[in-house]
Amino acid sequence: MKLRRCLSLIRIGIMENLQWRLSIIITFLGNIVYLVIIYSLWNAIYASSPADTVNGMTFTDTMVYLVLAMTIFNILNLYIVWEMGRDIQSGQMIINLIRPMEFRSYMFFSSLGGNIVHFFMVFIPTFIIVNIITGGAIPIGLNLVFFLPALIFALIIYYFIDFLIGTVCLYTESTWGINIAKEVTVLLLSGAMIPIAFFPDGLKTVAAYLPFQAIYNVPLRILTERDLSVQERFFMLGVQLIWVAVFYIASGLFWKKSIKVITVNGG
Amino acid sequence: MTKEKNGAVISLGNISKEFRTLNRREGLKGSILDLFSRNYKIIKAVNGISFDIQPGEKVGLLGPNGAGKSTAIKMMSGVLKPTSGEIRVNGVIPYNNRTKNAQNIGVVFGQRTQLWWALPLIESFKLLKDIYLIEDADYKNMLELYKSIIDLEPLLKKPVRQMSLGQRTLSDILASFLHNPKVVFLDEPTIGLDVSMKSKIRELVLELNRVRNTTVILTTHDIGDVDALCERVIIIDKGSKLYDNSIEELKHFFGSYRTLKIMFDKKAYNEKTLLTDVDELQRLFGGIEHADGIVSVSKNEEWIDILVDEDKCAVVELLSVVRKYKKVADIKLDEISTEEVIKRIYEGD
Amino acid sequence: MSTKIKKRGLAFYIKIYFKIIAQDIKSKMSYRADFIISNLGMIIQHGASFITFWILFQNFPSVMGWEYEEMLFFYGFSLIAMTPMQCLFDNNWFLRHKVYSGDFIKYCFRPINVFFYYISEIFDLKGIGLFTAGTAILIYSWSKLELAFSVLTLGLLVINLVAASLFMIAIMNLAAATCFWTINGGITMVFAQQFQSYARYPITIFGKFLRFVFTFVIPMAFVSYYPSLTFLSPDEIPLLTWLCPLIGVAFFLLSYFVWMKGAKNYSGTGS
Repeated sequence: MKLRRCLSLIRIGIMENLQWRLSIIITFLGNIVYLVIIYSLWNAIYASSPADTVNGMTFTDTMVYLVLAMTIFNILNLYIVWEMGRDIQSGQMIINLIRPMEFRSYMFFSSLGGNIVHFFMVFIPTFIIVNIITGGAIPIGLNLVFFLPALIFALIIYYFIDFLIGTVCLYTESTWGINIAKEVTVLLLSGAMIPIAFFPDGLKTVAAYLPFQAIYNVPLRILTERDLSVQERFFMLGVQLIWVAVFYIASGLFWKKSIKVITVNGG
Repeated sequence: MTKEKNGAVISLGNISKEFRTLNRREGLKGSILDLFSRNYKIIKAVNGISFDIQPGEKVGLLGPNGAGKSTAIKMMSGVLKPTSGEIRVNGVIPYNNRTKNAQNIGVVFGQRTQLWWALPLIESFKLLKDIYLIEDADYKNMLELYKSIIDLEPLLKKPVRQMSLGQRTLSDILASFLHNPKVVFLDEPTIGLDVSMKSKIRELVLELNRVRNTTVILTTHDIGDVDALCERVIIIDKGSKLYDNSIEELKHFFGSYRTLKIMFDKKAYNEKTLLTDVDELQRLFGGIEHADGIVSVSKNEEWIDILVDEDKCAVVELLSVVRKYKKVADIKLDEISTEEVIKRIYEGD
Repeated sequence: MSTKIKKRGLAFYIKIYFKIIAQDIKSKMSYRADFIISNLGMIIQHGASFITFWILFQNFPSVMGWEYEEMLFFYGFSLIAMTPMQCLFDNNWFLRHKVYSGDFIKYCFRPINVFFYYISEIFDLKGIGLFTAGTAILIYSWSKLELAFSVLTLGLLVINLVAASLFMIAIMNLAAATCFWTINGGITMVFAQQFQSYARYPITIFGKFLRFVFTFVIPMAFVSYYPSLTFLSPDEIPLLTWLCPLIGVAFFLLSYFVWMKGAKNYSGTGS
């Protein structure tokens, strides 16, 4: 019964996302353009550098890393905070609470369809194109087996963070500022804007202890690094799993506490 | 009715409007197919409508959902361009001179407020005064007029977002009359409002029409609105004009018809007893003096509906029969709905 | 009833503009927390992008002959050039939602220009943070590079900034207008915004193809690179730098006409 509900929500989400043909095409084309820009930019940067390898990353490594980070951003970013913020302001949140399903799960499964569509329509084509252009820079083998759970964990962590931040909007009635602060913090400290390998040592240490690197850095390293041992891969997944647990509990508790705000104030 | 072409404030000459819409396929597979190939179909929202409206007329534009009423209003207000035909509002072709036309009309569209959401009503008024270039004296006069009709002061200071739906609709109507337009379009102005608010809004519109001789075009589903406000009714169905005549004429179709709804004791009945009740009542009504006034007796969920022509048979007469038959738990008296009126016109005389 | 024919000219629009803006600021004041949080968000956003910039140049001291301070100049210039778009044209971000829900129709009933009426509705105070950040970066790099400063350069700076901001505004107008034709036009806005972050790089560091694209297709190079050359290489100013103001005005007008065409098209889709 419960599973049926979830599958139905995912199905609807996929259908809804498929309606927006143009947006999928634009997202995909946007990634191609991004790929071209990143290529030019880093080509110039590496050309101006005396060494071929900087901080252990070659030009190709950096490029593949950044382009895939962008596509993962496309998969993960589904404007959860926006939607929650809008629901709070319009009073729709009350109706969400009446649904016979925990709101956090409801929201997750109804946005999952979008994640899936973007995975197939944006990530996979980009992945193939990148691999062709770079002449097979991304290894294809056991890493893919580890990549999929890593991506799913990343998605869950990102969703919980989004949900947590969205809940903050219950108190602030302000969405934009909070959302942008979250987005840039995640993008920067997760290594999506510039690989963590390039960070100065102090910042590297800080980033390692924060949850954000579990979102982009972990799945991307698992996917692209050739010389990771199986143990290292399992260790990285384990770290992700810990963050999943932490945010599962944190967002749940915070939401529970915050709901009272709605029920007391009448939204 | 005689019409002088030149005197008309609005005239529509054989107006049509077509839309192209996407034919969506069903289901997940359909969605994926839609991604790769789409087929469109042409919808004729309005199909060759003509009419003239004289200054100061109050006209009800009726029809079921999707009949083309909103499209017609959008064309008259200059937002939409007709596919063919010609429209004149105050001698201006609206879609070619949208801003010029907008100066002469007021629009209240559905439940979408056009006021500044976060601000007190008076701020919206001041801004509209500037946008419509309203003279100080005219503005003052209009506010005086408003004050003479409704209790304006508390409304003026209230932020629009804090208003009830009724207050907001009232405010939107006031805002639409502010620049003293020649024509005001009211799209479903009383939808979702309670009885007292409805009558307040009707009074306001009537009074403004009387004092300023503003032409009022009204779309509604509420026969009560039509009855209270309109002297002429145009019915549109499936994009075509079905009826255009005075309200008195229309009353032949609905005026004296009402539905008397009766509910007997809830605990004691089921489907079966309800049907027996229907049969029994039909038999009993057969015996009364004005039996030819009873159009039908039927079961409608928990209610028994008796459609009656009041010209021929008084409701009181029926009630006494019913009460003798069984203990009545609840009674309602409904106006006939627009849909029923249209059905009757089709079946029509 | 007197029917005076009054023309709605420039003076009318300027007056109305300030009145509408004043109303918007008044209503914003009733959400003070939002104002503070939004500006904080803005500062964090540009703080983060500055850190990215900084990390990059920690690893690579110069790129294609451009030094760190020169790169900062382009960066600061682009931030200031984005300010008018952020402050005055922010309502473009809500266009998709209004078109989708049908609320857009209310802008069509007033006797004033639809684009004007729509855009004037919101004055985004967040732009103040953007302007401050940009000015600080620009002044820093200006002094580090020991560039000359006079009344003439100040005048040139203002003209070039205005021209650059017209490009930025026009790009966002065009991106927003896509939602008149497709339900999910918001995505083009997001992409246009992503391009904004490339406006801060001198186009010479890109390959030939992108240089062409950023000059003639998505003219991001005019947001910072070309106008900045007036100050960074005053001895050899390219033709496109001179033409910048002229093309800026033309491009803005183009975006305006496309937007208006879209608004007309929207009405055509019925309710």
